[in-house]
Amino acid sequence: MSLEPITGRYLAAEIAGRRQRIYVEEAGQGRPVLCLHTAGADTRQWRHVMNDAEITGANRIIAFDMPWHGKSLPPEGFQAEEYLLTTETYMETVLKVAEGLGLDRPVLAGCSMGGRIALQLAARHPDRFSGFVAIEASDFQPAWYDIDWFHRPDAHGGEMGAALVSTNISPHAPEAERWNTLWMFMSSGPGVFRGDLGFYTRDDSLVGRLKDIDTARTPVHLIVGAYDFTCTPEDAARTAAAIPGATLSVMEELGHFPMSEHPAGFRPFFLEALAKMPAPERIAAE
Amino acid sequence: MLERFEEMAAGIEARPHLLRLGALFSETVLVEVGGDEYYLAFDRGHLVSVTGGPSKKTPWRFALVTDREALETFWQPLPPPGFHDIFAMAKIGRMKMLGDMLALVKSLRFVKEVLAIPRAAREETAA
Repeated sequence: MSLEPITGRYLAAEIAGRRQRIYVEEAGQGRPVLCLHTAGADTRQWRHVMNDAEITGANRIIAFDMPWHGKSLPPEGFQAEEYLLTTETYMETVLKVAEGLGLDRPVLAGCSMGGRIALQLAARHPDRFSGFVAIEASDFQPAWYDIDWFHRPDAHGGEMGAALVSTNISPHAPEAERWNTLWMFMSSGPGVFRGDLGFYTRDDSLVGRLKDIDTARTPVHLIVGAYDFTCTPEDAARTAAAIPGATLSVMEELGHFPMSEHPAGFRPFFLEALAKMPAPERIAAE
Repeated sequence: MLERFEEMAAGIEARPHLLRLGALFSETVLVEVGGDEYYLAFDRGHLVSVTGGPSKKTPWRFALVTDREALETFWQPLPPPGFHDIFAMAKIGRMKMLGDMLALVKSLRFVKEVLAIPRAAREETAA
């Protein structure tokens, strides 16, 4: 029997004029690192990072479930709504969580759509963060599938979504973690994955903003897996090349959900990324 | 190639979870390998027959068109990027998916796991 160091609480915040109850988990102490999950999933993707004593010894790892995801309920009136995530609402959500938790310029680490919004925030709100780790993140990809597949009355969107995203899990991933990763997609709320993909596959507003990111002020490091066929190494390389000063690491044996699908394989790359981010003393001195 | 498909038919019967996943899957799937046609007829998840082509009169719900080398690479225990999954193969241009895509997507986990049975069998032999 053992008790993990991860603790969870709920944050009440008004986002885009609506009250949201947001589930937040954290572990560790030191430099704050705010972590964002992928589309159609939740904070559980960061479970191994939060249980890694070497990481949490000097970093306060924090992750939260986006509204509609995991243990964060959808807002009042959701039952008659079509969920569609937007860049503006997503950015406001991240900023409100950081503010609500009283975080002073955390490192922002996001995967997939979380990496996309991290780069948007790097371009538009760099003063609120000390650095950015963009995992499986790129400027833009249109969908190579029909996002409406994942929310229909005659089939289970979660099971179809999981079967589709399994394309992006590396065959090197341990079997148990492959299925833990897929479980989140299988069990996500109806229409939520589709609504996230609407943001991810239709909003190309980041493309023109990448050149505005000042990596001398806030470093940007990208990480991408060779088995990722949603954000390929080519997509990540193109994105990194458009951000002056950004760095990129390619993980040859990992896919689109590296921290969740293959924790041991991801670990050295995340440690490398954190080492590239400003030390807590430097953040405090600025 | 026919042996591989027979391996799939036997593999399904040995995996009760696949029969649960495929309980509503009664379709004919065309798999075309290097120009050779194979019609896989499923009945409630059971792969009941595999018939070689060519045939212009066998109706199919969806088709997977690939080449022998790509498929053999797909069945390796640790395939390189792009050959590890049918959608990845489509993305790198080594597989075409034709016909009723929604029928494929609705049973995607079942179809993917059935197609991967020869890989699992090799892993079991190696272990």
